[in-house]
Amino acid sequence: MKFRAKIVDAACLNHFTRVSNMIAKLAKICTLRISPEKLNFILCDRLAGGGVSTWCELEQENFFSEFQMEGISAENNVIYLELTSENLSRALKTAQNARTLKFKLTNKHFPCLTVSVELLSMSSSSRIVTHDIPLNVIPRKLWKDFQQPSVPEAEVSIYLPVLKTLKSVVEKMKNISNHLTVFAILILQVIEANLNGELNLKIETDLVCVTTHFKDLGNPSLASDDASRDRDPAEMAEVHVDIRKLLQFLVGQQVNPTRALCNIVSGRVVHLDLLYEDVSLQYFIPALA
Amino acid sequence: MLKCGMSGSQVKVFGKAIQALSRVSDELWLDPLEKGVTILFFKLALRSLNSSSSACGYVLFSSVFFEHYQWSASKEMNDDGRYLNCKLEMKSILPIFRCVNSFERNVEKCKIFTRSDKCKIVIQFFCRHGIKKTHNVCFQESLPLEVNFEKKMCCNTLMIQPRLLAEAMVLFSSNQDVTLAVSPLNLCLKSAHGKSAADLTNSVYSEILVGPDEFDFFQVGLDTEVTFCCKELKGMLIFSEATHVPMSIHFDFPGKPLALSIVDMLLEANFILATLTDVPSRARFPQSLCLSPAGKRSDWQQSNSKAGQRGTHPVPECISRKTTPKRLCPRRSPVKNSAAEVLGSPQLKKANLDDIHEMPRSCVGDTEDGPNSFSRKKFSSMFFGAVSSDQQEHLNRPLASLAMASDSEDD
Repeated sequence: MKFRAKIVDAACLNHFTRVSNMIAKLAKICTLRISPEKLNFILCDRLAGGGVSTWCELEQENFFSEFQMEGISAENNVIYLELTSENLSRALKTAQNARTLKFKLTNKHFPCLTVSVELLSMSSSSRIVTHDIPLNVIPRKLWKDFQQPSVPEAEVSIYLPVLKTLKSVVEKMKNISNHLTVFAILILQVIEANLNGELNLKIETDLVCVTTHFKDLGNPSLASDDASRDRDPAEMAEVHVDIRKLLQFLVGQQVNPTRALCNIVSGRVVHLDLLYEDVSLQYFIPALA
Repeated sequence: MLKCGMSGSQVKVFGKAIQALSRVSDELWLDPLEKGVTILFFKLALRSLNSSSSACGYVLFSSVFFEHYQWSASKEMNDDGRYLNCKLEMKSILPIFRCVNSFERNVEKCKIFTRSDKCKIVIQFFCRHGIKKTHNVCFQESLPLEVNFEKKMCCNTLMIQPRLLAEAMVLFSSNQDVTLAVSPLNLCLKSAHGKSAADLTNSVYSEILVGPDEFDFFQVGLDTEVTFCCKELKGMLIFSEATHVPMSIHFDFPGKPLALSIVDMLLEANFILATLTDVPSRARFPQSLCLSPAGKRSDWQQSNSKAGQRGTHPVPECISRKTTPKRLCPRRSPVKNSAAEVLGSPQLKKANLDDIHEMPRSCVGDTEDGPNSFSRKKFSSMFFGAVSSDQQEHLNRPLASLAMASDSEDD
């Protein structure tokens, strides 16, 4: 099993660092899936997180100037590694002024991801920094646990409002109750021929009920040919989730995504689908039982 | 009695020193003298058998640092002519200097004066808009303390701009033990792993190589690796950023303390950190102080008012009371023999016994084998530099001059 990769571009390094920071905020342990074309960060807090799963995908050639990998066999040319997400993000944080950054799978007493950085210090001479991040190699028999979650057929698909605003609302709501109802409505305005979306977040207790309405959100299927489909004038979907899962996701958002979608399947799942330039992140929050 | 005044920018540096020390220790000793004010700290901390973050140090603000400085001998002195020392709790004094960065703008003048009859230090800030803030901090009287370390005699001396070193230290978290490895070609800072398997598999190992051209001065006489806790180093780096003076690092072999030093015309700061010894068995040799060949005493002593109370052998016993050197080590036969073994040549035997007078009692004669005795010995060996048979040659020469030093010592 081999893996070697190199980043030389500062913008790519920053982007990769941001992705890694986001992953570190989402879960303590993450699985890195390495395949010839892609790199995935997979988080499955099945037991601890109540079923939340994250699938983050990036095309390796958008980041690495050199990338070589070899799985255990030609048919199974994939590597699954489990590591503490914070270890990776901290190692990358120290590489901010790097000339080059190299990753290598090594075995120093135990399997490690060795990150070696050539740093430009303030005195403009080079320093070499090495980090050995311990990891576990996931055996093939467990690979089925780390497959891409199937994207559910959404009843309502709506663009998210500005994440920062969403986060401050959800943070305050968490103080009232943990049980959040996510309710989305799409209304077709025949005259203007657009689908206007409204996302509502509702918290309810015996004493109080608070609903926040985010209006005038668009819908991605606007571009598609509506005529061929039977459209209901109003589409709605509602699901009850644990607010802490949504908040944990929002807390990890450092940068505004290029595109952020919320897909809801009533009573089943909230599927958040985000794109950060060329990195895609999908976050699945299951409905409360 | 102390009475001094500082401008806003001077009190910023003073406050930074306190902040740096707060990261390292929970208590401060303030020792005002004619030459200036010394703020000292001592920290004895045994985290585990394999690691220690013990350190001591001081920041001396010379009298010319202040805008005006006045010191007069107080009426109360203890019986051997030393003045009383003020021991302060960090949590009383740190909040006063919390917003240090705004001092330059907001504080026009700061006055500090002590009144030993009332065991109080008064710190007054004269701020903008006519605001005057007065803080009264009580101190505990404490016996005099002194830190003495002969840093010029270390084989390895490095001098570097603190900013450059701080960049490298970012890799390591404060509570971590860090190993500094030098060779004439470069310097390597790396995480020091614990011996247990759990340590190895869970933590990231980090390493940074810094070339000699980044240093203002790079003298490596001995290829060596020393391990210490990086908390104190980080504390010193914070302070050094306020002073813009290069920091020098002095060290030798593992086990001998490492010194961090900043010297400038107005102030001087020295932090002495314990380093881990390589071989646990060294701890079994009776300790002797690592003394310099300069004919000058270079040892570290601490007066601890608690040492007397405790009686039997806890860790702080490794340190003597400066005031009562003569009463130290009762002559016991095991002491004589083992000291002779360690220090080698029989002709020095006599001289050694005289030395022992100066040496802390329990360090040499620690025959008690309680449950903690290993850790205590290890601690003292870390601090004082355990002497093993390998190092006899290294120390034999210095010992010759010791005999003379010890006599002149007791003034």
